[in-house]
Amino acid sequence: MYNLFNPDNIKLTKYLFFTGKGGVGKTSTACATAITLADQGKKVLLVSTDPASNLQDVFGINLTSKGTPIQEVPNLVVANLNPEEAAKAYKESVIAPYKGKLPASVIQNMEEQLSGSCTVEIAAFNEFSNFITDEKTQIEYDHILFDTAPTGHTLRMLQLPSAWSNFISESTHGASCLGQLSGLESKKEVYKNAVITLADGKMTTLILISRPEYSPLQEAERASKELKELGVNNQLLVVNGVLDLDVENDEIADKLYSKQQEALRNIPESLQDTPTYRIPLRAYNVTGIKNIRMLLKEDYLEIQNYKLNKEELPKVKALIEDLYASKKRVIFTMGKGGVGKTTLAAAIAIGLAEKGLKVHLTTTDPADHLKFVVEEGHGIRLSKIDEKEELRNYTEAVLAKARETMAEEDIAYVEEDLRSPCTQEIAVFRAFAEIVDNADDEIVVIDTAPTGHTLLLLDATQSYHKEIQKSQGDIPEAVKNLLPRLRDAKETEVVIVTLPEATPVYEAMRLQEDLKRAGINNKWWVINSSLLMTNTQSPLLKTKSQNEIPWINKVDEIAQGNFAVIPWKGEEIKGKKLVELIR
Amino acid sequence: MSKIEIFDPAMCCATGICGPGIDQELLRVATTVNALTKKGVDIIRYGLSSEPQAFIDNKKVNDYLMKEEVEVLPITIVDGEVVKTRKYPTEDEFAQWSGVSKEEIAAAATEKENGCCCEGGCC
Repeated sequence: MYNLFNPDNIKLTKYLFFTGKGGVGKTSTACATAITLADQGKKVLLVSTDPASNLQDVFGINLTSKGTPIQEVPNLVVANLNPEEAAKAYKESVIAPYKGKLPASVIQNMEEQLSGSCTVEIAAFNEFSNFITDEKTQIEYDHILFDTAPTGHTLRMLQLPSAWSNFISESTHGASCLGQLSGLESKKEVYKNAVITLADGKMTTLILISRPEYSPLQEAERASKELKELGVNNQLLVVNGVLDLDVENDEIADKLYSKQQEALRNIPESLQDTPTYRIPLRAYNVTGIKNIRMLLKEDYLEIQNYKLNKEELPKVKALIEDLYASKKRVIFTMGKGGVGKTTLAAAIAIGLAEKGLKVHLTTTDPADHLKFVVEEGHGIRLSKIDEKEELRNYTEAVLAKARETMAEEDIAYVEEDLRSPCTQEIAVFRAFAEIVDNADDEIVVIDTAPTGHTLLLLDATQSYHKEIQKSQGDIPEAVKNLLPRLRDAKETEVVIVTLPEATPVYEAMRLQEDLKRAGINNKWWVINSSLLMTNTQSPLLKTKSQNEIPWINKVDEIAQGNFAVIPWKGEEIKGKKLVELIR
Repeated sequence: MSKIEIFDPAMCCATGICGPGIDQELLRVATTVNALTKKGVDIIRYGLSSEPQAFIDNKKVNDYLMKEEVEVLPITIVDGEVVKTRKYPTEDEFAQWSGVSKEEIAAAATEKENGCCCEGGCC
């Protein structure tokens, strides 16, 4: 078994970069590491780059992008990079000098142009790079920890600088496609230095966080490989939430133990040489400074006397009945990574197909594992939005269009613009619209990517919508129809999936806020993997299951009773097991 | 030779391919401008979101914007005089103002440039 992850015994570099699938405990681990190092007397800066960050919940105070000292932990400063606010500030800084000098309609035109998701990404990366390359920060702190956004997004951020510098150096007609990134040239050095620092093993350690489960371990492998390709070779793996089986004799605990051990025995090959540590499963909720401080040290049991608001917890069947009765055509399962969106999406698809509906089940998750969960047939069609493939398709479509009227050399010119990092965003967006457009003759169930990324996508939907209304370009019908359809509560339902724990519930609440802002309907919530729904007798797991009650009550309240609970299962829920879920 | 200036509305890029759809008109203008530049024509484009200062510094452009709002863009200026608003120049107009014939523009567009444009040496 792996050694305990304890920064008291491990020598760590100046920059620590925590990454992994959503819901694996990146924030808890990063916070616990930060507190442990600060308790040793080191000066520590902890930075979150997650658009859906929950650092403020952990520390119980509002955080800023500049950094806030934590009273209870001397030596620790915490900063929260909010990409949307950063984008707003960036936009403001570009536009402010021209207010009053140009008419309002012109200012508005500029603002719209600067509202794309590309600006958000750029602003986020800007701040992130500044933290990595700032000399003052480097001198001031012994350790700088980054709690990053879900993997897909992080990787994109890291790849951006190389994409950009290639783009700039290859561009023969000036960086025309970077119109909205006018400050980019001057930032080139900063980005380059950020990537150099990340790739320097003496300076930076990449800490891959996973749970002892199949899919987060696969995700860790993917991140590990892709980051190695970017030169980030100094890597550690931390497996969080490992059940240490000692005297307990309980069916659920045994099942959990063997499930975890099997996942660890089958750890992806390329991770086997990575130094690996474990953090034991704790009975307590990992929130609040006291518990975070304990996380890397010891467990304790604290019996709570919580009471459920409802006597009987509703099941997924109720959700499916309602989706069917209300004739929904576009159904999303949204939520943090690792909460079971794919499982639920598959269960909904099966439930509706059983009622005789034609269902198209699709995913935008880069770590797509839909096909491992459910088979095609019996009224269900599967597909996925592959970002790279969409980019290729889009590029080809543009070039085909260009070839109708243009000479070969002109096409080379267009190809140059197509290498802009923004193009991928557009390509995915179009694919997304295409699928939703198909909801005319089939029900579309969409298993979306982790929260942060999804939000960017929705944001893009909104800002493009404005642009579409006045563009003379050739806009596909599907794109025109997208936002009105998403906003039509008669057609669209977003089912928010969460776990009965603090962080996933807080994140889900933020997601709900974002959906409200975008004018998109959400009625249903699903709580997955509830130990309370099992009859575990293990003291540790029983304590954990009691701790679920306040979170189940909270969801009940927010969802106004429109929620369902799925019990924790010892095995992967797939194939026939999905049918049990909807009975 | 005349100096041609084009003041674009705010957009992601000169070819417009970063936008929500493919705009043939923008593709045409972008490649024509590219070809004219190669022929040594003094032609320049200003983007509203990337170079807003240019829209203030040029008094004529600024006057138009103040009077007719953002819809007046694009504005084309030849030797300091506004020659066209609300629409991009046609190929005939480009030829007339630049003194480069349409055939020459087309030829310049297909002419190979020096150096390699991609890592794989594909060109």
